[in-house]
Amino acid sequence: MTLIAHAIAPAPRASLNTEGLRGRPLTWSPAGGIGLWSTDWDPADKLGRGDALEHHRLVERICAAQPCLPVRFGTAFATDDAARASLEGRASALRAALDRVAGKSELAVTLLWNKNAGDSAPRPPDASAGPGRRFMEERRGRYAARDARRGRAVELVECLIAGLSVERALVWHDVCTSDGVAVSLAVLVPSERALERKTELEGLASGFDDVTGVVNGPWPPYSFARVDD
Amino acid sequence: MRELTPADASLLELVDRLLHKGVVLAGEATISVAGVDLIYLGLNVVLASVATMESSNQVRGAKAPRLS
Repeated sequence: MTLIAHAIAPAPRASLNTEGLRGRPLTWSPAGGIGLWSTDWDPADKLGRGDALEHHRLVERICAAQPCLPVRFGTAFATDDAARASLEGRASALRAALDRVAGKSELAVTLLWNKNAGDSAPRPPDASAGPGRRFMEERRGRYAARDARRGRAVELVECLIAGLSVERALVWHDVCTSDGVAVSLAVLVPSERALERKTELEGLASGFDDVTGVVNGPWPPYSFARVDD
Repeated sequence: MRELTPADASLLELVDRLLHKGVVLAGEATISVAGVDLIYLGLNVVLASVATMESSNQVRGAKAPRLS
């Protein structure tokens, strides 16, 4: 048997339903004042998208019961001893990370470019220019458009952070992660105010003409489960 | 590539977090991941996440999950 890791939590373990992925047993491996929640797993079985989403629901259940650090999906240990050893080596850093996210949840904001946002009318090709010149002009135009979009995405991030009035340490973001995405941003908020903050975020994200805002969460603090070794 | 909808974005943001974020522990087993299921949308954010998961495991000396 193998263990598929879900989340790290402080000891003692919370009282939880003991059903893990695909109804298999959920187990607790304690070490160094913390412990790892995981599912007993047959290593011959493949993990799929359904398991990833079930892992998310399990992590949500654990985080609702006690402070928790989500573990990256797909992490597996051959034995309970191996899981404990992995925790023991970093117990102090993991406890500090748990303290940082205790009582907090993550809200996620995605800003999607609206159709034709930021596109300007292309300059007509110079009929007298040779093919090399036309190629260079076209490439320069593409780079300028890409830089303009990136600049606008950074502006959008600043607007969100200013509107939320939060410390930057509580915000993670990336810009232009794909053609359609202007901004992907996560903010850590007190769990008891998460829905109120989500409404605020939805208002902020809907106030831009060139993007469509999508707000998700509250979620477990995935983006803030960093460990400073 | 089709246009990204808000529903796509919600799913991708979640899958990105599951694969790309969260505490990285040095696992010691090889688990098969049905990669086709995870990356079927073919979007950069998800592809990047799978690549990150593989490289992170390799860096830590563990066996990389087998993508089918």
